[in-house]
Amino acid sequence: MKEIVVASGKGGVGKTTVAASLAVFFAKNGVKVFTADADVDAPDLLLALGGGKKLFSMEIKASRKAEVDEDKCMGCGKCIEVCPFGAVIGPNDGKATVVSLMCEGCGVCKLVCPVGAIEVREAPTGTLGVEETKYGFGCATGKLRLGEHNSGHLVASVRNISRRKAQDAGSEVIIVDAAPGIGCPVIASITGADYVIAVTEPTPAAKRNLERLSKIIKHFGVPAGVVINMSGYSKDFEIALKDWVVRELGFQLLGEIPVDYEVVKALVQMKPIIEFNPDAKASKALIEIAERVRGEIL
Amino acid sequence: MKNLRKKIVSTPIVAVTGGKGGTGKSTVAVNLAAGLSAEDLKVMLVDTDVDGPSCATLLGVQLEGGEEVRTFVPDIEASKCVGCRRCIEVCPEHALIGLQEKIPKLYEELCSGCKACQMVCEYEAIKDGWKKIGTIYSSVVDEVKLVVGELRPTEPRSPVMARATVMKAIEELKGDGYDVAIFDTAPGVHNAVAQPLWVADLALAVTEPTPLGTHDLKLILDLARELGLPVEVILNKADVPGGLKDELLNTCHERGIKLTAEIPLDEELLRSYIAGEPLVKKAPNSPAGKALMSLVSTIRDRLKGGEI
Repeated sequence: MKEIVVASGKGGVGKTTVAASLAVFFAKNGVKVFTADADVDAPDLLLALGGGKKLFSMEIKASRKAEVDEDKCMGCGKCIEVCPFGAVIGPNDGKATVVSLMCEGCGVCKLVCPVGAIEVREAPTGTLGVEETKYGFGCATGKLRLGEHNSGHLVASVRNISRRKAQDAGSEVIIVDAAPGIGCPVIASITGADYVIAVTEPTPAAKRNLERLSKIIKHFGVPAGVVINMSGYSKDFEIALKDWVVRELGFQLLGEIPVDYEVVKALVQMKPIIEFNPDAKASKALIEIAERVRGEIL
Repeated sequence: MKNLRKKIVSTPIVAVTGGKGGTGKSTVAVNLAAGLSAEDLKVMLVDTDVDGPSCATLLGVQLEGGEEVRTFVPDIEASKCVGCRRCIEVCPEHALIGLQEKIPKLYEELCSGCKACQMVCEYEAIKDGWKKIGTIYSSVVDEVKLVVGELRPTEPRSPVMARATVMKAIEELKGDGYDVAIFDTAPGVHNAVAQPLWVADLALAVTEPTPLGTHDLKLILDLARELGLPVEVILNKADVPGGLKDELLNTCHERGIKLTAEIPLDEELLRSYIAGEPLVKKAPNSPAGKALMSLVSTIRDRLKGGEI
């Protein structure tokens, strides 16, 4: 079973659009597919796939949060000094208060408290679930609590459950829709995967962030290909970008998707573009990309 | 939460955020900064999207030099370590591992820099060591002071780097007579976004009229509410063909959130984005340029009236 991760340094370049179309293309062309939404901060893959039927969901408690016992706290302020995350503050009444949203649960406040007023307790990180899409394949999803830190842990849980369920279903491939950026959730998505599809757009800002993403991909030694989305506005820049991807990054160019407002209409209808309008320019490009991915990775 | 957030610097801070990626956060941030600066306000623009900072690119500047941001990692002195394992047991990230009576081994990428190991070591065997987690660049572009935080690729702790960037900006804001600071945030609603929102006075949530834009906007509105932070919406790509503008306006209406600006689709905006020149300078009379100029005036008036 192969795991293909759809990632991007910059947000909003079309990860979810590519992941949804790729999964549906596979499903309709005899490839047994499973999906995972590893953007646990803002999970959108099921929205792009028209929703799902919930098979199960559970709460994940992998976080820890400090709590101050106000009766014991004598307001010495030592915890405020040592908190590396700025999460312990001293409000007006002289007692320490933990801003739960900022707390990573490291517990150094508890270590320095001379009167034992601080306890660190297990706290919810988010939810984990599996849903069945209308295309017959499953989708593992996670939802991180607002403002929470522990995204890498939740992403690992999403990947674990997707592997188990995909194995049970006899799937050949898992498509993982990753978070934007290069931080913890992205590293947790890419580590140990078989292939990364890096989606970008032909703008200097997206190029710069693709370069940053490429450093992570290379660090973890995962083969990768690039999809240039929303192309067609700046030909010179696009030619230079394609050349740079192949020569400088050493990644395979999987294809280009032209700017096409049918993609927006498809999003609004909550259907993958290749399903909404298979004749659209963007669909044709996506189908070519999906065929290339199938041919070369599966 | 509201009464927990305290103003730590007198300069008004406007955070530009939005939930979904690629909705135009950085575009709004750089245009607001350039526009307010042209109105003779002293402006600082801070890019706290440490995973993928774009403000410098959008302003057409190369970042040079920069100041390393380092966090603590344990440096274990072999001669003093007795192998008691207290540090291994206390490490909340399981970054220290070791066998009985052996010197613990550090997995640096897991270390959060909390110093719990150092605090519990009775033998003073743990000295301060450092790892580089990123770089903070400072620059001045057309009188706008630009501060950019950049996470070192392969370092996972975006929230720590975002916090370092926020703290650095606040330090520079103190006593330097700035009229306003604009903080551009990362996409999402995770902790690296919460860090700049925690110190802000107003959040502008930039979104687009699609189900994904609406879905992620609700998340950021929830986060702002949790933080007790006033938030307003900027609708970008407002007239995108097939878009869901009405649904988005309904969401704002239901939640009593003000729609502060609507920016139409405009090829000039894309050109300015690629050229690295803010639209309010390059083409202020284009459709999107006018919308951004009007946003600049609105924010300027409110700053002058002491409303932010």
